Amino acid sequence: MTMFHLFGLRALVWIALSLSLLLSAAAQLGEDRAAQIAAALREQQFDKALGMLRVALQQSPASTDLWTMQGVAYAAVNHKKEGLHSFRRALKLAPDNVAALQGAAQIEYDEGDAAGIPDLEHLLMLRPNDLTSHGMLAVLEYQQGNCAAAVVHFDRAADLFESRLPALHAYGICLAKVRQFDNAAAVFKKSLALNPDDRRERQVLASVQLIAHHPEQAIATLDPVLHERLDASTLELASAAYEDAHDTDKAVEALRQAILLRPENVGLYVDFAALSATHQSFEVGINVVNDGLALQPKAAPLYFARGVLYVQLAEYEKAQADFDKAYDLDPSQSLSVAAQGLAAVQQNDLAHALAGVEAKLVRMPGDPILLYLRADILAQQGPAAGSAEFRTAMSSAKDSVRLRPTLSPARAVLAKLYLQNGQFAEAAEQCRKALEIDPKDQSAVYHLILALRKSDRQGEIPELLKHLAALRQQATNVEREQYRYKLVEGDPEPH
Amino acid sequence: MTISRRSFVLLSLCASGQHLLGQQPGIASRDIVAQAKPAPSGRPFDAHFTDVAKEAGLHAPVIYGGVESKKYILEANGCGCAFIDYDNDGWMDIFLLSGTRLESDPAEATNRLYKNNRDGTFTDVTKQAGLKAAGWANGVCIGDYNNDGFDDIFCTYFGQNRLYRNNGNSTFTDVTKEVGLWETGPARWGAGCAFVDYNRDGHLDLFVSNYIRFSFEHAPVPGEKSTCNWKGIPVNCGPRGLPAGRHSLYRNNGHGTFTDVTKQAGIDVATESYGMTVVAADFDEDGWPDIFVACDSTPSLLFMNNHDGTFREEGVTRGVALSDDGMEQAGMGVGIGDYNLDGHLDLFKTHFIGDTSGFYRNDGKANFDEVTRAAKIGVETRFTSWGAGMVDLDNDGYPDVLFVTGSVYPEVEKKMPQYPYKTPRVLFRNLGNGTFEELESQGGEGITAVHSSRGCAFGDFDNDGDVDVLIVNMNEPPSLLRNDLKGTQNWLKIKLEGVKSNRSAIGARVIAHYGNKVQAQALVSQSSYYSCNDPRLHFGLGTVNEADIEVHWPSGLHERYQQIHANQLITIREGKGLVANKGWKR
Repeated sequence: MTMFHLFGLRALVWIALSLSLLLSAAAQLGEDRAAQIAAALREQQFDKALGMLRVALQQSPASTDLWTMQGVAYAAVNHKKEGLHSFRRALKLAPDNVAALQGAAQIEYDEGDAAGIPDLEHLLMLRPNDLTSHGMLAVLEYQQGNCAAAVVHFDRAADLFESRLPALHAYGICLAKVRQFDNAAAVFKKSLALNPDDRRERQVLASVQLIAHHPEQAIATLDPVLHERLDASTLELASAAYEDAHDTDKAVEALRQAILLRPENVGLYVDFAALSATHQSFEVGINVVNDGLALQPKAAPLYFARGVLYVQLAEYEKAQADFDKAYDLDPSQSLSVAAQGLAAVQQNDLAHALAGVEAKLVRMPGDPILLYLRADILAQQGPAAGSAEFRTAMSSAKDSVRLRPTLSPARAVLAKLYLQNGQFAEAAEQCRKALEIDPKDQSAVYHLILALRKSDRQGEIPELLKHLAALRQQATNVEREQYRYKLVEGDPEPH
Repeated sequence: MTISRRSFVLLSLCASGQHLLGQQPGIASRDIVAQAKPAPSGRPFDAHFTDVAKEAGLHAPVIYGGVESKKYILEANGCGCAFIDYDNDGWMDIFLLSGTRLESDPAEATNRLYKNNRDGTFTDVTKQAGLKAAGWANGVCIGDYNNDGFDDIFCTYFGQNRLYRNNGNSTFTDVTKEVGLWETGPARWGAGCAFVDYNRDGHLDLFVSNYIRFSFEHAPVPGEKSTCNWKGIPVNCGPRGLPAGRHSLYRNNGHGTFTDVTKQAGIDVATESYGMTVVAADFDEDGWPDIFVACDSTPSLLFMNNHDGTFREEGVTRGVALSDDGMEQAGMGVGIGDYNLDGHLDLFKTHFIGDTSGFYRNDGKANFDEVTRAAKIGVETRFTSWGAGMVDLDNDGYPDVLFVTGSVYPEVEKKMPQYPYKTPRVLFRNLGNGTFEELESQGGEGITAVHSSRGCAFGDFDNDGDVDVLIVNMNEPPSLLRNDLKGTQNWLKIKLEGVKSNRSAIGARVIAHYGNKVQAQALVSQSSYYSCNDPRLHFGLGTVNEADIEVHWPSGLHERYQQIHANQLITIREGKGLVANKGWKR
């Protein structure tokens, strides 16, 4: 995505540039010559302008404006390298030269070059309210994946983007990445208004609304496309929204329709399994997954999902068989291995679980989930602080977190081990990071409270206690809801 | 960017094996994986428990709600019991609470007082003692509230709690109204209780936990709500989904009456807890009693004494309110003792089926670390667990753990036999290295016998120098587990008499030094589950034949007694030293 595409403002910038340069160069070269160069640039006679500039620069090699105009001319004939060189020469002579900074930034921006970021920051230091610079900087930061920085400049340049779809999309994505979901939804709403037929953008908006815990809004967003030209991905999303809105009937119905439309879509069966598990309807989930397996007998995720459901029913042998099968079909999928370990844990066979994980770690020593599992299993055995088992658990948890910083269960184990070891500051740090990943993590809040208390940093504790109480209440409500509905097999009753 | 429930599946797998099954409705249970049992130690266990209730004359069943099914949670939670020497003859008598039935009060439905005949048998003296009463009794705490030298009885009820004053002539008088404890509003569900001298004025005050706000008119019935099902079977509802009770503190005015000081003492801050067993002791060793309340399906409470007549609730921050992963648990019973012999009072709390009990190590400043798994207590999750004690059963010098169990859903086992209503007692022997070993048949048939038990009290009913156990069984006669201890391990029993402190010396902390060990015990008026233990503190001494004793009296007085010989009961009067025992030998 380029500046040109996003803003369409480049011509205006150049005209402004030429006029300002004309006035400045006239003072140095004399009216005629300067006017000739300016006229050549204005009339887009760039080769002619370049010829005059070469001569002029021999006479006045320290003229910032001549170097700048040469940069403009080179850039115009698409000799960006030479153009950038000219702007740099100008900036060497006069670092605060706005025209040269604008020219250099424009070329770097067009190339998607992060080197434009300091130029634009420099420009904004000189002209803090320059919306164009804010806009360009926002896009460059976005392209570099620096959404936190990008959002600041997107906010400042928001007026520039009102009618520009790609920019709005980028803005929305960045807001979502920095977890400002409500703001992201507002931006995606604008982008969808620009193109209401864009089904993909509608799904994105609905997804963000779901993440922001507004399932009713997500349903409203999807509603226009839920009555015509149905597609499986929209139905899948609608199912999630209905479930979050506590309308499990419709969630099930949407997912069933999605499966009918795309019976080959493995993910839909996995979703159904998850929905069944949520409502303690494990047998129903197993039957639906079996339907999927009849069509896709080599789908590792389906064996995996069925294994999870078997674990819930305490049918551990069947679960193990499914996890083994999933692993055979896709050995690169460490979750299957993890599931094997967890099934053993569930059978109260920690030694077996640990042995299985250790064996797989020999083949995949850098697998963060396996490392987490090893740490968790060891920690569950209650090793004494400082013991060999404790040290292994600690190092495995640390490695897991290092390899996958977003794996919050690993951070939870690490925090627990730090607490046990009297490393309260480190425990608190892990809890805070876990809470960045999931602000509703009760364990992380609780362990943070304990770590702060034990390190005598108690100022935060009252607020954390309130937060923990609120989370407990939410969890109780969610639990009550999950048990409210039980899936049953059979054709839906006619309406 | 689409969201899918697939991520939730993966998350549940990654979260921990412990979370695979989620929580149950109605009552908090984590459905966690039991810790693997370590290899047996192979060490002999000298204690052996035999149920002698029948021979001892404890024939009457403890009536409590329906037998085949229970419509309301009121019928399910059961009640406690007490060892009490009501006639000061030096022998532990027995007081058993009772419930009733929904339809009417059966003839057997009454609390019962049994006099110890000093020959291994008991006589039911309920009627002549004036204690016959039917109703939904729950908890009992024993203490000499009027400092007249005779222990009085306080019982909690759904309905009206009752204080029975011991008249000193083997009879009691219900003085609830005259002392100001009569409730005039809607029926409350009194649960745990504890006599505690919270302001150290030498008079026993009274703390009462309340469970839920319950009425037959508004209570949902089995299956009516999500909180009225268990494993898909309609069962009695709650406590979740029902409004929580409010706890009360009553100050003893010193002249035979009490004043409700709940609000001014700061107890009323706890508005969302289903309170159960209460244990009052000086957990932070500052000389002032604190109050711990085990709570069902809500965070347990620890009220820390501010020394000015008020308390601050700090259960969560002190590590005793939630599980080690920050989750609510179904706190029922509480054991208190010093399992690791560091001189500090630790706590043990029982929970619902699918969860481990909780073991909390105290650093002496009331900062608790949960050590359930480190202590290897996490090997047991099969039973809904109630009354508990942290007591030295084999006199080896290390406090063991015993708790009783029983389901609250008699109707479930018909459809799911893997969840029986009657389950065994659970015995953990202290291995002396910070860990415990679960024993089954090694503890004797008294341990392996199945009942649906609730309260239990620990005490030496036959004065033979070991700890026996009295157990309430739902709709069955109680169990009296006589400890037939083999071997030659030594012991010491200590009876305290307060002078400046309350006469019962409730709240005293005693520290015994024997060999290279140090063990703390507290004199409390309630622990276990709604029950009261023998007030004579029992220390097993192992092979050591003498001990040094420190007594921290509730008044603040700190006394030391050197080289006390083993295998005897001593009575210490505050400020006076050793005095003659009352009774003891036949």
